[in-house]
Amino acid sequence: MEFLALVDISYLLLIFFGVALGIVFGAIPGMTATMALAVCLPLTYSFDLNHSLAFLLALYVGGISGGLVPAILLNIPGTPSSICTTFDGYPMARNGEGERALKIGVVSSLFGGLFSLAILYLFAPLLSDIAIKFSYIEKFLIIFFALTVIASLCQSMLVGIFSGVLGILLSLVGVYDTVKGGNGDIRLITPALEDMLYSGFSLLPVLIGLFGVGAILADAEQGVKEETEGAKLDLLSGRKFDLSAFRGSAVNLVRSSFIGTFVGMLPGVGGSAASVLAYTQEKNFSRDSSMMGKGAPQGVIASESANNGLTGGALIPLLSLGIPGDSTTAILIGAFTLQGVQVGPLFIGENVETWNMMVLSMFIANIVMFVVMFFAIKYIAKVVTVPKYLLYPIIIMMCVSGAYAINYGIMFDVWSLLLFGLFGYIGGKLGLEITPFIIGFILGSSAEIYFVKSLESFGTMTIFFTKSPIALFLWLLIGMSVAFSIYSNKRSKSKTA
Amino acid sequence: MENQSSSPFSIVIDFDTSHLFFPTLILWLLGLLGLAILIQKGPAFYRAVASGEKKLRFFEPDADKVRLFGTLGLMVVYFIGMDYVGRLFPNMGYGFWLVSIPFLFGLSCLYAHELDKRKLLYITLNALVAPTFAWFVLSELFNVTLP
Amino acid sequence: MKSLKAGLYIALGTAFALSASTAMASDAPISGNLRIVIGSNSTGGDTYQNAAIIAAHLGEKLDMNVRVDAVGAVAGFRALKQQGKTGATIMFNHDQSYLGNLYGVKGYDDIFAEYKIGPTISINPGNAYLVPKDSPYKTVDDIIEAAGKGERVRVSVERGSASNIGFSALENAVKMKYPGAEKNLALINTGSQSDKNQALFDGQADVIHGSIQGNEQFTRLPADDQKAMRFIWITAKGETIEQMPEEGLGETTRDMMLQWTDPVTSVPQSADGDLFNFDKMFYFMYNKDIDPKIVAYFDEAMTEIFEEGKIQSDFKRSFFIPSFRASPEAEKFLVNKKDDYAEILSAIQK
Repeated sequence: MEFLALVDISYLLLIFFGVALGIVFGAIPGMTATMALAVCLPLTYSFDLNHSLAFLLALYVGGISGGLVPAILLNIPGTPSSICTTFDGYPMARNGEGERALKIGVVSSLFGGLFSLAILYLFAPLLSDIAIKFSYIEKFLIIFFALTVIASLCQSMLVGIFSGVLGILLSLVGVYDTVKGGNGDIRLITPALEDMLYSGFSLLPVLIGLFGVGAILADAEQGVKEETEGAKLDLLSGRKFDLSAFRGSAVNLVRSSFIGTFVGMLPGVGGSAASVLAYTQEKNFSRDSSMMGKGAPQGVIASESANNGLTGGALIPLLSLGIPGDSTTAILIGAFTLQGVQVGPLFIGENVETWNMMVLSMFIANIVMFVVMFFAIKYIAKVVTVPKYLLYPIIIMMCVSGAYAINYGIMFDVWSLLLFGLFGYIGGKLGLEITPFIIGFILGSSAEIYFVKSLESFGTMTIFFTKSPIALFLWLLIGMSVAFSIYSNKRSKSKTA
Repeated sequence: MENQSSSPFSIVIDFDTSHLFFPTLILWLLGLLGLAILIQKGPAFYRAVASGEKKLRFFEPDADKVRLFGTLGLMVVYFIGMDYVGRLFPNMGYGFWLVSIPFLFGLSCLYAHELDKRKLLYITLNALVAPTFAWFVLSELFNVTLP
Repeated sequence: MKSLKAGLYIALGTAFALSASTAMASDAPISGNLRIVIGSNSTGGDTYQNAAIIAAHLGEKLDMNVRVDAVGAVAGFRALKQQGKTGATIMFNHDQSYLGNLYGVKGYDDIFAEYKIGPTISINPGNAYLVPKDSPYKTVDDIIEAAGKGERVRVSVERGSASNIGFSALENAVKMKYPGAEKNLALINTGSQSDKNQALFDGQADVIHGSIQGNEQFTRLPADDQKAMRFIWITAKGETIEQMPEEGLGETTRDMMLQWTDPVTSVPQSADGDLFNFDKMFYFMYNKDIDPKIVAYFDEAMTEIFEEGKIQSDFKRSFFIPSFRASPEAEKFLVNKKDDYAEILSAIQK
């Protein structure tokens, strides 16, 4: 415990500021945890390694957690990984349970964060040896598994899958990037558009365009009615928060946190897949999932514990292989290099002190996140009482700044916002299902890389079954997931009929 | 490895055209799904429309087209405007700051019902303060690139 | 919330207070904020790190607010074309920007025709190739010989990038000694370092491209570890590596590294005995029509920065080698470098 001597006031203050700032970034639609780290990285050049890591890790924890606020209150995912929080969080807020949903989300986030931290601390080197057993094939199957969520989330099976496949298609637009292992050629656009669409559509503008701008357009058509007294979103009318919301959810919490941690440690699979997977699993395997999507606490629990589970998971490959698990931890590599510290398989053994300090920072950051959010929620939740004629213009403005900044200053990303706002608005009228669409969009490009690379390296379709026991196990999960969604779809149909 | 080509499942992806492999697959899948939807839902839909039971109309009967198209119009002007102004002052973020103010003011006025003096005051204050605060924090404090 | 933000502002505002040292004269041809776009999308990679170091010094020297934007190569070129005339947006990248064009990757212009070349700044000497620790290939010569004798050797690199050029040099070397046998070298196209490592772990590649910084720890793992690797070739010039601190990186000393660079480990480049090497060089690019006054202004500022001598230690601390040339000299240098590599590529195709 000698490293505790390194804890000083500035260390604690940095964690506090980091968490608070991270929450603000995560809570603003269009700003992400990754962006928080990117803009703050230069600030840390003057710190020593432990202080700079404490600050950056605190930003990371805060940024991932803050995303639940707009997801629940405004139905706009603040960061891509909180998309599944909107499914149940927003209906809860509509039912007057906004504060309760937020508190459930915060408690789940804390659990997910601490759970993954414990796994990171105890098993990091061991887990990295498991992670490298996942080659292109197993990663493709995981993505495919996550895609099966579409079948269980859609209203009409055919239309839902159609929407999901359309999402995949649009995620492929532009270059087949050599950085991901592609051949650098462009597809699905005419040469005239190459200038704008070279890198295709970015996830964040698409996401906030569909959810933010799309919803505002739909409300504009309705006349942006001011809420009458009776219909006004009353924060206190619904049930109050108490821990009973978690009754029967122990399995859900642990499973979702584990899924988050596990997906986080697979480089390239992507953080958004984590909460999608956790949500599906809760939907498929819980005793009663009939309320999910209509305001069930268990949906918020699954999504939020999974996306905070990412934080510890994504650090596993970073600290035991020198490979970042997601785009946010990729920025941490920069912090290490600028301090002249190597990360790789020997990092933990050679930098015990830094390692302990990192884990401690994450621990404190999770606690601070919980305290700050839990007690600030009462005030944060008031956002929904701001009249729409003031709130909507601000949301659009923040979406614009986020879209512009996500790729460090690309005007086309701002136009994407409008494009997909319109797409969401018109698509909704034509019966397109937006949720399957966005899940297809999120997972599409990784699905392509891993699918094509698998076939390129092995030259046969059968490899997806014969590669390893892990592959077979994943097929089993996929089969169960598909069977379950067909079954429940049939059941709900016969009920309504 | 050698006799792979004889297996019915074997597949060779030419690297130079590998960028088209997956999109082609997805396009086929999309086409098939579209066809299936047409077969499954098409006849019933056609009957409903033909019998007048279902009206083919895009907008709700009481759609507020002024607010809808006003929003779209303002956003287009907003984006073009900030790109234009932003280029006059490269890398300062003034395009975002200066054009957001009238945009916020305009959109708020469009959305507000029964505009009175008090509301107008709120709207003006909001339109001045929010963009200034956002610009200052993002561009000046955090050095984020804005239009 | 408001008071929180106010507190934050005070805390961060103090952190931003810059020590105004020897800023340059006020008759500057540019003003406002300076934006450096880089040819990488990552803020964790070596391009960003080198850009961040020079940006910090430039900001102080020019008394400007300098920001580094990781927009990626193609978007960077576009920004340079559209917004670069005033000199307020400039680009920073490495050899990739002309290698991409040589390899015919979409979106890569001929930088020497379309842009103005600015000063060279630094080198990342870490460009390396590795094999599994228990690989039968002990040296690069073993690989050349094996391919010459008809053995298939799979090398994992990213197509059309800086990692591709070493592969092409190997192909060329095999072809010179055993014409026709160069087809035995198979390029395994992989993107990220994670995918390259994974290809080695899975036995999908015999040789991978990597870096001293990213892979050194893997070379220190025990041989029975699936992840254990061994350096086989460092493409930087021997004389570049000699400028490094003696203790090297991790437990790999400078003397050990010199065993993997020329002249000890060498890949012949032409019949008259030239050796191939590749120093991954970082440099600036400007809009074609930029005012020559601005070019001179930047050159002067950077010359002063390098003369002051503080930046050198910043680069070395992050394992980079400072390598400054003012614009006119930099352009000549890079054109020569490009012609060299173009020759290799045309030799393979013949």
